Amino acid sequence: MAEKELDCLGEACPVPLIKAQNALGTMAIGDVLIVHIDHSCAMKNVPDWAREAGHNVELEEIDDGEWDIIIEKAK
Amino acid sequence: MEEKEKKQSLWEFYFKREWSYTTGAVLLSILAVSLVLVTGQAWGVTGVFHVWGGKVLSWFGINADAFPGFNGAVGKYIFANSQVSLTNLGIVLGALLSVLLAASFKYKKIKSRKQVVAAILGGLLMGIGARIAGGCNIGNFFSGIPAFSLAGWIFMVFIFLGAFIGSKMLKKWFM
Amino acid sequence: MSEQTIRTSSRKKTTPEQRRRKKTIQITLGIVLIAVILLVSALFQNTNPKAGFILIIGVLLGYTLQRSRFCFTASLRDPMLTGGTLLTKAVIIGLAVSSLLFMAINMSKFGLDLSAFDIKKVAGNVKPAGVNTAIGAFLFGIGAVIAGGCASGTLMRMGEGFAQQWLAFVFFVIGSMLGVFIMVPMDSVPILKGTAVFLPDVLGGWIPAVIVQFGLLALIYLLAQWWGNKKSSGIV
Repeated sequence: MAEKELDCLGEACPVPLIKAQNALGTMAIGDVLIVHIDHSCAMKNVPDWAREAGHNVELEEIDDGEWDIIIEKAK
Repeated sequence: MEEKEKKQSLWEFYFKREWSYTTGAVLLSILAVSLVLVTGQAWGVTGVFHVWGGKVLSWFGINADAFPGFNGAVGKYIFANSQVSLTNLGIVLGALLSVLLAASFKYKKIKSRKQVVAAILGGLLMGIGARIAGGCNIGNFFSGIPAFSLAGWIFMVFIFLGAFIGSKMLKKWFM
Repeated sequence: MSEQTIRTSSRKKTTPEQRRRKKTIQITLGIVLIAVILLVSALFQNTNPKAGFILIIGVLLGYTLQRSRFCFTASLRDPMLTGGTLLTKAVIIGLAVSSLLFMAINMSKFGLDLSAFDIKKVAGNVKPAGVNTAIGAFLFGIGAVIAGGCASGTLMRMGEGFAQQWLAFVFFVIGSMLGVFIMVPMDSVPILKGTAVFLPDVLGGWIPAVIVQFGLLALIYLLAQWWGNKKSSGIV
């Protein structure tokens, strides 16, 4: 079970979402992708997309205005 | 402790948890209509930007009113009498208020040269586009289509095409 | 959340106590900001009796944009770029709601037979429609996606503390000045200047206009729904 981190701090939409989509595309089922973001729109649209796509998603605010989106590839 | 946690979640509910897009859309519509009811003038954003530019130039002794197309707009300009200026200031303050009350303000500095180029190019294209079309996505589109304006519909079709080309460019050069 | 915890982040930089303190500072600043906004509104009232109300509506607009993470750019860009149509559908709902409200205002102004119609008095914006609209909107669309925010989005992200958007804003202002210069020669060519067109006026009354307006909105909504379903079943 591999784990990959993606640093999207300071990136505005849609960059975090595209990067997450691309990264997850190369990963295997059960792998975990952690996306670091500080863009308040990405903390909504990345989890929205990942849930819609059927993955397990966890959102955690690790500091004021900074989030980790933890996505476990499910299919 | 339990009491505190309950308090925490109430705060989260009222000030932090994000609203759905549809909630946002309906509230924006109601606010846009109430603005028209209060003042008779619809919500716009970009209509004053060139005047602001002219005002800044005037601080350096350059008379922008002499420029083609300005028609004395800078000389006549008073902030408190300009609805667009007031709502623009309000939007910046309102967004700041929202992140502060949610305790998620963070200053995000520019990370790369790509972001600088993207901001410059994107900003210029939006400015030029808005003035040529006679309004931006708010003035011409969000206040236009609901007013049964043909320009609003044309704007929608072509901003969609522009966004499609822009996405291609973004993926290729700015990521 | 019902789903199980996958794992928790290992990247915690601050202790819970520090977090709590920072949180209190931000919320306190927020409350101070409310007081400042009210004070500034009262001051503007001296110059213009409506200025305070307008500023506060602006604040509510900004608050709503941020709180719901609303983004017009994304509503236009995401269907093709990421396959998401949630925002697109929300924008259509917003347009339908304001269409209904603006229509009510305009109907009471102009009468059901449009006998009192005056293009200058339409509630909402009826801007000149022409080739200029198409060119301008196209350029605007490119710019909004590249800069990561449209007109309202740029302002909102400035408030959120995005330095990139402050830079974009500076060039937005410069671009607006250039746009005014470009528009000067275009203004003398009718097709490049455009003509303001109010749909009920040209389509022959309210009923055909309502059918066209709400029909198109419904059609776009259904298209977005279909596209979103199609895309989300196929991705990754």
